[in-house]
Amino acid sequence: MQRIILHFDLDAFFCAVEEKSNPDLISKAFAVGGEANQRGVVASCSYPARMVGVHSAMPMRRAKQLCPDLFVVPQHRQAYSEYSRRVMAMLGNLTPLVEKLSIDEAFLDVTGIKGNGESIARDIQKRVRDELDLPCSIGVASNKLVAKIANNIGKARTKSPEPPCAIEIVPVGSEAAYLAPLPIRELWGVGPKTAASLHELNINTIGDIARQERDLMVYHFGKNGYDMWRHAQGIDNRPVEPEQETKSISREITFTHDNRDEGELKRILRRQAEEVARQLRKSQMNCKTINIKLRWSDFTTLSRQTTLLHPTQDEKLIAKKAIALFDTHWTQGKPVRLIGVGVSNLNDAAVRQLELWETEQTQKSRKLQSTLDDLKERFGDSSVKKGIDIKKRGK
Amino acid sequence: MIISVLQENLQKGLSTVSKAVDNRPSLPVLHNILLEAEGSRLKLAATNLQMSVTMWIGAKVDQPGAITLPAKTFTDLVNNLSPERVDLQLDAQTHSVAIHCGATNSNIKGIDAQEFPPITHGEGADIRIEGKVLQEMINQTAFAAAKEDNRPILTGVFTELEGEKITMAAADGYRLAVRNGTLSNAAPDAMSMVIPAKTLMEVARIIEGDEEVGITLPKDRDIVTFHLNNVDITSQLLEGRFPDFTAIIPRNYVTATTMYTQDLLKACRRAQIFARDSANSGRLYVKPASGPNEPGEVQIVGKSAERGDLDGMLDASVEGEALDISFNIEYLIEVLRVVNEERVVFQSNGAENPGVLRPENREDFVHVIMPMSK
Repeated sequence: MQRIILHFDLDAFFCAVEEKSNPDLISKAFAVGGEANQRGVVASCSYPARMVGVHSAMPMRRAKQLCPDLFVVPQHRQAYSEYSRRVMAMLGNLTPLVEKLSIDEAFLDVTGIKGNGESIARDIQKRVRDELDLPCSIGVASNKLVAKIANNIGKARTKSPEPPCAIEIVPVGSEAAYLAPLPIRELWGVGPKTAASLHELNINTIGDIARQERDLMVYHFGKNGYDMWRHAQGIDNRPVEPEQETKSISREITFTHDNRDEGELKRILRRQAEEVARQLRKSQMNCKTINIKLRWSDFTTLSRQTTLLHPTQDEKLIAKKAIALFDTHWTQGKPVRLIGVGVSNLNDAAVRQLELWETEQTQKSRKLQSTLDDLKERFGDSSVKKGIDIKKRGK
Repeated sequence: MIISVLQENLQKGLSTVSKAVDNRPSLPVLHNILLEAEGSRLKLAATNLQMSVTMWIGAKVDQPGAITLPAKTFTDLVNNLSPERVDLQLDAQTHSVAIHCGATNSNIKGIDAQEFPPITHGEGADIRIEGKVLQEMINQTAFAAAKEDNRPILTGVFTELEGEKITMAAADGYRLAVRNGTLSNAAPDAMSMVIPAKTLMEVARIIEGDEEVGITLPKDRDIVTFHLNNVDITSQLLEGRFPDFTAIIPRNYVTATTMYTQDLLKACRRAQIFARDSANSGRLYVKPASGPNEPGEVQIVGKSAERGDLDGMLDASVEGEALDISFNIEYLIEVLRVVNEERVVFQSNGAENPGVLRPENREDFVHVIMPMSK
């Protein structure tokens, strides 16, 4: 059966959310991210800002040079997560086959749903606008690869200070023809290095790849060459996979200024451990391996891990192990640029090893934990805090 | 120091003491083994500051003296020498020991014996116990101690003395092993202590033949010493209160199942091949006999979502209700390995309650395992 796959993407999502809470921003050139005088980068920028060449992941300092009037808005991650959750829930009502790619992006398999690809896409776009007041663009094709590329192209087609709200449709059978004139960088798996090698072979468009002998692509690029060749024909059989199986969970933070404050660093590790543990509990997982990541001021990065004998989702234990790793690998006063906690080696928490001394205390703390999780889920991360974390604000 | 020893004796001595050598010691000298020649013996000693092991072997001492040599280098060399006489000669200036055995000559650089921390073993045995009894008691309990130090006290074996009775108990929070034994002489006072499981495993490893083991109980210092033939092992005790375990040993049961120990062990090992992927969780279905002349059955299932599954059946004599319960299969394997009796009894009060395993017709060994929830 011919599939209908949608690639859904919210237009300048963070900016759209900011505009909702501050309508003065509408039609202004602004960017969401850290301040330029520090190490800020553009997390998202409004379409008027894009008109002058500002784009996301650009250092804020550079963005300010391009657009001196650029207004910088700090990030409100909780609001973004909340809107993302609502958007994804809306998509989930349409079809269970929603593969969330990021906070503002998803694939949908709408095969068998009433209507054709275009009408379904229009309907989604309208509902997201009407019910949540957010602009979005959609690519429609017979597979994930082409739907995503189509959406990129559709969005890029509109060059105006307004959100694109594009819908780009690639009819069944015309996938290869649609891709042929596009530059190779549009293809998945083609990074700067591969692109350079392809250019050397005088391969510049996706069509050029499609015309190559398959074995020649394999000869030059191995397995990746084979994939590129297939993709260039517009072939992609991967299914839309709703819940990607979680292999690991991590939290990390890059500091605006290198941090060498032991107390502060440990407080952050503890908080990250809590967040990781909460995610574990939410996904009903236990972890066996706990790791920390440290990046020094010279950008060298260190990852160290420890493995437990018994799987856990206990934040105290995760924090304890993370801090022990930190103590072994951090020397007093060494500036840290990035710090993070992660867990892996995950397994189903539904099978739980019962304890000999299942005391009132452990039952109470498990109950407390689930109440806290519940509160945070309903009222946001900052609704309840531990005493140990409040100290930071008072500083 | 100028001495001669037999390679076999030296090899055995080094293997005995080397377990006390710390892999990542706080002091460089703790990488080393102390050699001290006196009278007609060579003393070999090692310590990680928690556990110290000293062994004496026969030697021809031409000139007394002492030195420490790096454990790994020295042990590796000695293990590879031919079974002949080994001559050792210390150069006191360079702290280097010339080793000569057959056609092999080697020099190993050591560290001055003065730098080695003093090792004190308790003197005189307060109590005595048959080596074989102690060995079995340790083997049946120490494995159940915690291997992680989340609760340090659980890395030890609770040891209680009262009159001629000795009780050892170990638990890691999910399982408990309790074993009673009899001393050769009554303990001077009733007392209890928590001995690191690692030390006890060393004691059990070193005990051989029919020897009797003397134990020096802690007095002014928190240490215990085991005196074996030519070997002294001293350990720090763990501080803290061992949790009360008597209350968690179930007194009643609704299902009692008697099985052949080796059959059950093998069935568990087979199930574990697949259970490994699902947190080692294996499922036991206990089915009472369907008629008066029918045997009861136990079905053991291990499942892996990726690799497949296994389903094994065992004949069993089942008394009481049917049961469907999950356990960490590894825990079952570890206890079944140390049951020396032909048959083992499994008692349960249901899928969420502690299960009890004990050898048939024995009251001195009981093992409690918490199930896994489903």
